[in-house]
Amino acid sequence: YDRAITVFSPDGHLFQVEYAQEAVQKGSTVVGIRGTDIVVLGVEKKSVAKLQDERTVRKICALDDHVCMAFAGLTADARVVISRARVECQSHKLTVEDPVTVEYITRFIATLKQKYTQSNGRRPFGISALIAGFDDDGIPRLYQTDPSGTYHAWKANAIGRSAKTVQEFLEKNYTEDAIANDSEAIKLAIRALLEVVQSGGKNIELAIIRRNQPLKMFSAKEIELQVNETGKEKEEAEKKKSKKTA
Amino acid sequence: EVRLLRRQTKTTLEVSLLEKYPCSKFIIAIGNNAVAFLSSFIMNSGVWEEAGCAKLWNEWCRTVDTTHLSPTEAFCVFYHLKSNPSVVLCQCSCYVAEDQQYQWLEKVFGSCPRKNMQVTILTCRHVTDYKTSESTSSLHTPFLKALKTQNFREPPCCSLLEQPNIVHDLPAAVLSYCQVWKISAILYLCYTDVMKLDLITVEAFKPVLSSRSLKSLVKNIPQSTEILKKLMTTNEIQSNIYT
Repeated sequence: YDRAITVFSPDGHLFQVEYAQEAVQKGSTVVGIRGTDIVVLGVEKKSVAKLQDERTVRKICALDDHVCMAFAGLTADARVVISRARVECQSHKLTVEDPVTVEYITRFIATLKQKYTQSNGRRPFGISALIAGFDDDGIPRLYQTDPSGTYHAWKANAIGRSAKTVQEFLEKNYTEDAIANDSEAIKLAIRALLEVVQSGGKNIELAIIRRNQPLKMFSAKEIELQVNETGKEKEEAEKKKSKKTA
Repeated sequence: EVRLLRRQTKTTLEVSLLEKYPCSKFIIAIGNNAVAFLSSFIMNSGVWEEAGCAKLWNEWCRTVDTTHLSPTEAFCVFYHLKSNPSVVLCQCSCYVAEDQQYQWLEKVFGSCPRKNMQVTILTCRHVTDYKTSESTSSLHTPFLKALKTQNFREPPCCSLLEQPNIVHDLPAAVLSYCQVWKISAILYLCYTDVMKLDLITVEAFKPVLSSRSLKSLVKNIPQSTEILKKLMTTNEIQSNIYT
């Protein structure tokens, strides 16, 4: 049942699909948070070799002006999926004269992934993606796809290495207050990432997408600023706690 | 064809390694995970001097400059502890073919080896080779199994390898040799589901640190864990497959 992708095991497993999900665990962590007027995508930067150009290792990419995605898993597979999705976004615009909805492009990517779990001789895509953006109605959306071709909408989620830890953190800390405004949502994303990223801010990459605005990637300085602010707030919160207990 | 070379002079050793450097403890790591374990946990606890290296004529073993070896390369190097030259270590991460195993044994142990030494062998095997009547879902890989010669009297650090499992390749050759020559030897075999260099697999060897032969060689465990992490990350950065 390991060999050919199109074969079910006696107990109903598609092992290649499950192994593809293991490949996703090898990619660095990605976190996505849906706020009221913003969607934040944060990733743990992969450590690059000394002579490698950092800018060519990008986990967050724009699919269209109003949709972007971040992935975890096999880099090459992601490149193929992203280029197909980008073509589909433009083709949709040309055909129906409307930009894609986030749900449409997510469904497209998920269907593409599912096709590769059913044809013989092809292996599934080894990536999970977080797709974020705004529809024409102005509502923010966050979707997640996985190698089996399923997709779901999320308020906040994490994929990649140590995703479970981040998911638990988000379950505890995603409250109405936490996403009350844009900067709070950004801080929540940073705090979630810092749970699992070693060596702090310099290994984090952050991007936000706002209503009617294209994807904005944060510069290293801006990230440092945010991380420091988050650090300060954490310290103050801990001081207050110790004062209360004292 | 197997040749043993001295590092400093790059000439062939005329006698077998253990005749030239008689030892009371011989620790052999075969495979990249076992090699990484010894590099991080044993080799940082003293000054180890290179005693020689083995050059094997086969396409898998290309012994390059032995000064900066990473566990991902293929090599077979022997070290002895400067403060106690009767402790000899072998780091073997290359493949020794069946027809070369006997020569390797002869060149290392000699034709009439000393009986009063203790040999410890560390190696890994894929868990799919492990035969058991239990359900495979109850196996928690990686796990350690031991196989010893008749003369090995100490209690092993883990459970013994059950029948009908067998040991393969160079570890089997060394163990058989020790059994025939009545040398006290034990093999610690780690069954794992990851065949490349992997942190969890290497850490599965930790119980071996409490054995009598290795206990005295372990100095600084937190530092060793750091060294191991570094070995792993340098290995990971080279790979661009996953982002």
